[in-house]
Parts: sequence; structure tokens; C-alpha cells
Amino acid sequence: MKEFAFLKMLDRFRKVFESFGCDYPVMRKIIQVKLTMDGRRVPTIMNRARARKQSDSSDSNAFLRSLWTYLIMGLILVPIVLINQNAMFSMSIATGILMFLVMTSMISDFSAVLLDIRDRFIIVTKPIDKRTINFARTLHIIYYLMLLTGALAGPSLIAALYAHGLLFFLVYVLEVVLLDLLILVITALLYLLILRFFDGERLKDVINYFQIILSFAVVIGYQLVGRSFSLINMHIEFHEASWQWFVPPFWFGAAFQWLESGKATAQTMGMALVALVIPLGLFFLYIRLMPSFEKQLQKLSAESSRTTSKRYGWMTLLMKLFTSRNQERHFFKFAFLMMARERDFKLKVYPSLGFSAIIPFIVILSPVWSQGIQVLSHGKWYLWIYMSGLVIPTVILMLRNSTQYGGSWVYLATPIKEYSAIYKGTIKAALMRLYLPVFLLQSIVFFILFGWQIIPDLIVVFLSMWLYAVITFRISRKALPFSEPYNLTQQADRWTILPLLFLILVFALVHFLFTFIPYGVDVYALVLLGVNWLVWKYSFRMNANSFRFNQ
Amino acid sequence: MRPEDVAISMRSLKMLYGSKLVLKGIDLEVYRSQIIGYIGPNGAGKSTTIKAILGLITGYIGEIRVFGRNIADGDVGYKRQIGYVPETAEIYDALTPREYLTFVAGLYGISEGQADRKAKALMDLFDLRDAYHARISSFSKGMRQKVMLISSLLHNPDILILDEPLSGLDANSVMVVKDILSELVAQGKTIFYSSHIMEVVEKISNRIVLLRDGQIVADGSMEDLKGQSNESSLEAIFNDITGFHEHKGIAEQFVSIIQEV
Repeated sequence: MKEFAFLKMLDRFRKVFESFGCDYPVMRKIIQVKLTMDGRRVPTIMNRARARKQSDSSDSNAFLRSLWTYLIMGLILVPIVLINQNAMFSMSIATGILMFLVMTSMISDFSAVLLDIRDRFIIVTKPIDKRTINFARTLHIIYYLMLLTGALAGPSLIAALYAHGLLFFLVYVLEVVLLDLLILVITALLYLLILRFFDGERLKDVINYFQIILSFAVVIGYQLVGRSFSLINMHIEFHEASWQWFVPPFWFGAAFQWLESGKATAQTMGMALVALVIPLGLFFLYIRLMPSFEKQLQKLSAESSRTTSKRYGWMTLLMKLFTSRNQERHFFKFAFLMMARERDFKLKVYPSLGFSAIIPFIVILSPVWSQGIQVLSHGKWYLWIYMSGLVIPTVILMLRNSTQYGGSWVYLATPIKEYSAIYKGTIKAALMRLYLPVFLLQSIVFFILFGWQIIPDLIVVFLSMWLYAVITFRISRKALPFSEPYNLTQQADRWTILPLLFLILVFALVHFLFTFIPYGVDVYALVLLGVNWLVWKYSFRMNANSFRFNQ
Repeated sequence: MRPEDVAISMRSLKMLYGSKLVLKGIDLEVYRSQIIGYIGPNGAGKSTTIKAILGLITGYIGEIRVFGRNIADGDVGYKRQIGYVPETAEIYDALTPREYLTFVAGLYGISEGQADRKAKALMDLFDLRDAYHARISSFSKGMRQKVMLISSLLHNPDILILDEPLSGLDANSVMVVKDILSELVAQGKTIFYSSHIMEVVEKISNRIVLLRDGQIVADGSMEDLKGQSNESSLEAIFNDITGFHEHKGIAEQFVSIIQEV
């Protein structure tokens, strides 16, 4: 097993740990094993395909290799720290963003560390006292928290040192440490709270949502890094208000306000003090609560007997509306439930889905920003709704994958005659479950912005997307739904997606041209309806040789 | 029996989960050189007993002693005398057997070099020489189980607590493991063997403890149990004592539902 620099650093403090009654060699061994295992795990922020390829050959920590991603994310803080106007404002925002990023990364990637139930069977059954185990676990988390915040806060720390001087820098460092403590405790308390009232499965769902939020934030964050630099010369007025007491980032901002202006109001001083007292206080509480946390963790290993007989009323409704044959309905339901339940699938698809939901708004926002809302009344701005279709190829290609891909033997072991029903049902389910909500949301907003006359256009868009989905399916390599592991063939898929992205522009262009003909849009809608009917009827016909099984 | 021959003793052991009493007062003394077959229906409290002995759960009522020492006295040193194979083969499968086994041995205080030498030799005997440096995540169920067994034995414990230790092993490996267990008992070790496979329990145990609804309902050798019940196989005795006679009826109903189609 590898020697880690972190362990060598700990060796220097051996006496300190031992004075707390901790069995140092054993603690060291536990941390060493944990770090080795982490080296073989892949963090959310990184593309898993790439990470897997690398980590098979080497043992180096994928998390460490992903640190540069956090560094880039950290750049977003640089201009904010550089805002000259108001330290309270800028540093509150900076710490707020930092808190958000650290917290989401912490929950996405280190939950496995906090919640490893194997520890109970492997380590707790051995002659090691609780204190040593708790020390090992806490140090393990602190190690990552240090690296993570180091990378995220690093660029802005340097900027602060350069622009505001040493004292400001030191206060910033202190604040970051306090922030880490706060996050560590909040995360643990969050888990404790969830486990107190729900079971382990629900906790895994919550972690999954945080992973999705983080992935989404990374996508959006990249868009904002460049634009945030225009903030430097912004002029801001900041007014004190008592609600600020309840927003932690303001506590951290207050210390800088105090430092910058030299004098401070009672509220500023109070909040700066709170930033010091609360994290430290909570941390000591956390150490006291560790045993109770352990007790709640028992729930994770206990089989939950909670039965979910959740009825998907609207699923049945959609199914009856859009599918006809029995077999097709059958696979519609199956795919619908798989997409709803499989966490890895959600993690891969939801961030792109969220992005596709907002991208048309981002596009029309900049002309509105510069020329006012009346700019929308002329021009065909609503056609940007086609941008949201970009998610359809991603979704359809992803339908082949599943964590439990081995389960696909059921397709082979059962006498399925119509393979077309499998694909029709699955693709319809994907359109209904994933694309339809996005489309409806955008339609409502566009309806408000552009008025009732765009309704035929929206119908055309919706019909185009159905056609687009079929074309995507025809072009892409065919495999049974949920039958392959993730990242089996991502390289090849990239070349499939590229022409499809151009195709969406073609759809938008054709639509654009029809808008110049009187009643053109209505006619086009009827044409699309007919084409869809033909395509959905005939283009799924295939025999067992049309695709290959990956078993 | 001399008092120092008592490996594990439990006195009126009770455990409450929420409002449910899962153990309703277990009194049991386990002696050296015994293989205890610890059996009972699902939910009878077998795992809870095992977890209590290993200190995985706290808050039980009553007393557990391991070689005369109360395990709740705050000193976890007693765990050094126990080896454990959990039912769900929980293992850090990102590691290789070498890494995992030397780690676990280290937790028992065995030096890396010694652990490595022993682990390697034992892996050899289990026909896993080539897998010693491969990730456990790529292993079959049987291979994992062998690694688990080795990890429970590396520190030469006096008590072995096994929960379905044979699951996933092929017939030849089962023979080897059974012989290892008899050999260990001949050396004065104590084995606490929990399983649902009655044929195996019947064959290897020299004492059988049957648990039902958190209580011991039968305790004795196979001969004793045969005396208590009119049945001859442990499986039948198990059904008899746990009051389960409907198996025939259920089976018939089951088949008739299948044929409905």
C-alpha cells in the first residue's frame, strides 16, 4: 500500500493524538486503507469515463486529479473578491458561493466516506476503541475538506492577498477554516436528521439530488466564470437588515466589513463574532454527538421494510394517451419506473435536462437585457425553444445504460416477439417523463411572454421533437434499453450526437421559413403529424439481427 | 465444566428495537471446543445476538461475558479473541486480498510481514494464488467468501462467529472448510455457527440452539433434540419445534396458483 504525504504530516502530531487516548498506529492504518480505496473511486465532478480509464492503470486518487476542476470553479470567486466597493457585499457573496460548492461536493462525494456501513462489520468488530475509529473518520474527512476548499478558495485567496493585503488574507484563511467546520457539522446534522425520520434509501435519494445539483451547478458555473469579471466595477449599496442574522454568509462577510472600514456597527460586530462562535460551538457539539450518529447509522444496514405502493396516476394517463399496443404499454411502464428509480441514470441525465430547460431563456435574456422587453414583440425569438431539444439525443443514448445492466437477460429469456414494442415504449416513456416537463415549463413561460398566437408554433415544436427522437434512434447504434454499463462506448456516441445537434437547427430553420407563409405553421403542423404517424408505425420494424446484445 | 471453559455466556439478554422486543431473555453458556449450531426462522433474533456479542449494537439489557469478562466494561480487547464472518459478505472490495487481509490483521495488532506471509499461504491453500493481487470487486461470491474466512482466522481467534460461512462455496471448498472447522474445534476453539442450511448444521454441530421469537426453544445435542421431537432430521425437528406444519398446504396452494394461467 502507498505511503501518503498526509500520513507523514500526521506522524508529526503523533504525540498529540496519543495524548487524546487514540491508538495512533491503528488510526494511521485505517486512514491509509481509506485513502487507498478513495484512489479507486471516482468523484461526481469528473467525467467518469475518463476517470475510469485512468484509474485502471494507476492508483492515484481520481479526486486529486479532479482538483483542477475545482480550481477553475474557484476562479469565479476572484472578481467577486476584487470588487472594491463594499467588503460586506462581496465577501458575503464569495463565502456564500464557497459554502454552496463545498457543501454540495462534500455531500456528493464524501457521503460514501461518512456513511460506509462496511465499517461497522469490518472495523467495529475488531479490538479498537471508539475514540480511535472516530478520530480516523474525522481526520479522513478533514483531509478532503482541506484539499477541496484549498482548491476552491485558492485563486481568490491569492487575489485577496494581492489586492487587499496580508491582514485581509489571514482573515480570509481563518474564515475558510471556520466555514469548513460549519459545513462538516451541518452535513452530519443533515444526515442525522434524515436518518432520524427516514431510512437509508431516502438518504441515498437525498445524496443523489445533491449530486445532481452539483453537476448542474458546475455546468452553469462554467458559463458564469467569464461573465463574472464584469462585476468588478459594479457599484453596490449595502443596507443592514435584521434578516441577515439568519444567513450564514453574512456572518463571514461582516468580519471583512469591520476590517475594511475600521469601524463597525453593532450588527456587523455581532455577526463577525457569530461567525467565530457558532462554527466552533457546533464542532464541539458534533464531537459529542458522534456516538449518536453511529447509532443512527445502524439504520443504514438494517433492511428497510418500507413498501412503496406509489401509484403513478399521471404515468397511466400519459401511457393511455400516447401508446396503443399492450406490449408497448408494458415497456413504457417499465422504462418509466426505471428512469424514476435508478440514481445513476438521474445523475447522468438530470443536469443536462436542467440545462436544456434554462438555455432558451439564457439566450433571449441578453437582448432583453440590453434593449428592453419590447424587443421580443418583433422577431421570432420563441424559436429558441428548439434549443431544449438538445437533451433528446443525450437521453436516448443514455437509455441503453443501467447500473444493473446484467438484469437485461430477461429480454433474452422471455419470448418477446415484437422488439419494436420495446423501443417504442421506452422512447415514448423517455419523452414523456423527461422531455415533456421541460417543454411544458418553457411553453408556459413563452405563452406568457409571446401570447396565444404562438400556440400553433408550440405544437409544431412538440411534433418535431417526436420526429427528432425517432431520427436519433435510427442513427444511433441500437442496443436494448438498460442493457449496457455506463460509459461503454462514449467516444463513438460523441460522433453520433454531433450531426444530431445540427439537425435541431435544421428543424428550427424549416419552422422559421414556414412562419412567412400564411397558415404555413398550421399546415406544417399537419404535415408533421402525418410524418410522425408513418414514422412511428414503420421505422421501428426490426428483427433480432438489427442490434447486438451485450451480455 | 470449569468456569474458565466458558467461552461465551449470556444472561437474560434482552434487546428492544423501537417498541419491539427482539430478544426476550436469552440464557446461554457456550463452552470451549463446542460447535454451536445457532438456528431459527428469519427474524428470530440470531443476528441480533451475534451483533450484541461483537459490540455492534449497544443498549441491550442483561449481560454478555466473553471468557469471563463483561464485554460492556469499556475495554474492547475481548474482540481480539473473536473472528467473525458476517452474513452479508461486507468487504472493502476496492482493495486486493493482500491489502485487505494485512489491514484487518493490523487491526488485530499483527505485523504486516507476518500477516502477509500467513495470508498468502492461506490463499494458496484455497487455490487463490493468482488472485492475491487482484481487486476483490472482480471476485465471484465464492472467492469473496474465502477471503472473508481467511480474514476471520488470521489472528488465530479462540471463538469463531460464522454467519452462513459456506454461501457461494463450491462442493470441494465446502469439504475443506468443514474439515477446517472440525480441526479448529479439536484444538479447543469455539465456533458459533449460524445458518439456514439444516443438513450442514446437523452434520457439523455438537450442540444445537434453536431460537424462536427472541427465545431459546431448544438446546442440546442432535440426540437430545430427536428425543424432544418425533422427527429424525434436523429440518423436520426445526419445522416441528417452530410449529410450522403448513408447508405441504402452502406448497399445494402455490402450485395451484401457478397453474391458473
